[in-house]
Amino acid sequence: MKRRTKILLSLILIIAIYVFVYFSELYMDPFIKRILNTGLIYAILGVSLNLINGFTGQFSLGHAGFMAIGAYASALLYMSPETKMSNFFMVPLISPLDRIQIPFFWAIIVGGLMAAVAGFIVGAPCLRVRGDYLAIVTYGFSEIIRSLFNNLQNITNGPLGLKGLPTYTNLWWTVSWTIITVIVIKRIVDSSYGRALKAIRDDEIAAENLGINLFKHKVLAFVVGSFFAGIAGGLLGSLLMTIDPNSFSILFTYQIIMIILLGGLGNITGSVVVGIGFAFLMEWLRFVEMPMNIFGIEFPGILGMRMLIFSILLMVTILFFRQGIFGKVEFSWEGVARLFQKKKVKE
Amino acid sequence: MTPQSAEATKTSKSVAKQTVLKMEHVTKRFGGLVAVSDFNLDLKEGELIGLIGPNGAGKTTIFNLITHVIRITEGKMEFYGKDITNLTTDRIIRLGIARTFQNIRLFSNMTVRENILTAFHAHLKSDLFTAVAFLPKYKNEEEYFQQKTLELMKEVGIEHLADNISSSLPYGLQRKLEIARALATNPKLLLLDEPAAGMNPDETLELNQLILRIRDKYKLTVIVIEHDMKVIMNICERIVVLDHGVTIAQGTPIEIQQNPLVIKAYLGAGDEDA
Repeated sequence: MKRRTKILLSLILIIAIYVFVYFSELYMDPFIKRILNTGLIYAILGVSLNLINGFTGQFSLGHAGFMAIGAYASALLYMSPETKMSNFFMVPLISPLDRIQIPFFWAIIVGGLMAAVAGFIVGAPCLRVRGDYLAIVTYGFSEIIRSLFNNLQNITNGPLGLKGLPTYTNLWWTVSWTIITVIVIKRIVDSSYGRALKAIRDDEIAAENLGINLFKHKVLAFVVGSFFAGIAGGLLGSLLMTIDPNSFSILFTYQIIMIILLGGLGNITGSVVVGIGFAFLMEWLRFVEMPMNIFGIEFPGILGMRMLIFSILLMVTILFFRQGIFGKVEFSWEGVARLFQKKKVKE
Repeated sequence: MTPQSAEATKTSKSVAKQTVLKMEHVTKRFGGLVAVSDFNLDLKEGELIGLIGPNGAGKTTIFNLITHVIRITEGKMEFYGKDITNLTTDRIIRLGIARTFQNIRLFSNMTVRENILTAFHAHLKSDLFTAVAFLPKYKNEEEYFQQKTLELMKEVGIEHLADNISSSLPYGLQRKLEIARALATNPKLLLLDEPAAGMNPDETLELNQLILRIRDKYKLTVIVIEHDMKVIMNICERIVVLDHGVTIAQGTPIEIQQNPLVIKAYLGAGDEDA
């Protein structure tokens, strides 16, 4: 298939998505809309973590930390001075943050950039360690961020968190950012840079002996990945209308890791589909946490039962579908064309 | 021990041959173990030399020292007159040294084509933005890489397997792919670590021809580590013999075959056996 045809088809798909968004914003049930928004944010997180974990093979557990930075940095910029005043009643917010307010779009971008800077600062020293050690160091980083945010009362309002954030996040924002994330990361992965990243994943020594600068490329993956994590953090903050440091704990990172493992390491399609599916499943599975009556026996509702089901799902995936639900199957226009051709033959 | 003089007469036609790699008093110690001791080498452009020795003699260590996979303890290395003793691996490779590995190190999840394409990355001039936006500059580079990759696959005879996953190739072809990948980095000096290991006699013969052909075609200087004497004795102009990190002999294949020290290193001393 020609490159031009593929671009044309992709453009048509994007337009179709936006038409869907237009009607969803008008007619869709607010509850479903909210889940869809969350799902798209999960998709952004999954795809961006996949660049670090799946394509570059650097097992990072720091994604929640990058998200937290993005969420706080953007929230402090798009909140109105009045909301800030009412939030920071214990310790006042430091100047000039208490006075400035910038548009949502730019606040999100700044949040992403701040996360990217953090990605660089964390990435640079800790990329000297590999494998399990890298996982521990990045986990440590996200815990440091959490405890810093809990204690920097005059910037983050500490454990009280930020409340009453204006709800700017809607499907337009989340869909647009998901599309941007997918396109940018897909293009990186398909370019010569992507080949270098995959080479590092497959065999670091061989990659280095082909003249690939390991450090530069690992940092690149971290910076791009954490940028989009920061963006997702900003979007999530405005969607939930409240953020506090403890919501960005390691549990959040585990959820994203679960998404990329279920979708398949190094599979962008998988991360997007599972990311959205994850959000819906999380809501749908709420019934297991309700008090139940099975065969006449009353069971009290247990909080966290949902996660138990996800854990089982994850174990089944790891045991029986080592490469995730999607394996190596990526969405492509050739694949779609083949699907149609097969159907025609059958007819 | 002046093999240089013999070498000089041999290549007297072109007196002004440039020194490619110069290693002076190179020593590597792992704690108390001396892996390589006082290794000297003066490699002229276009030479094809063999590095032999019993297992554990320090041959691969020398390759690892040249490409800075491990740090040198003492001594100095120059590549085309440039000091490379303290450069990082990727810098050294970009200067024009390429290597293959004793235990094949291919990118096992990638296709044959992708394996070779990856090797061009070090010479990519487009920055990340240009690549992601697929601007003409990157597009041209990518097309050039694709075309070069095809040439290299044809060179070693694996073009019909271009889209196969590299780990699915038979052993001999994996070795060839590794050579093609090394060539893609556009080297001036090629280090081959046991290229004939695991090959049958026919394949070995073919490999000999391949090494000679690529040396002439790409104007390479080559160092070969090999246990298979059919490779070493047939194609190498000069041989360096190592034993326990010490250079015990240097010279032409015939000189080496008759050298008592070499025979002792390989077969053990006569009185010990008796």
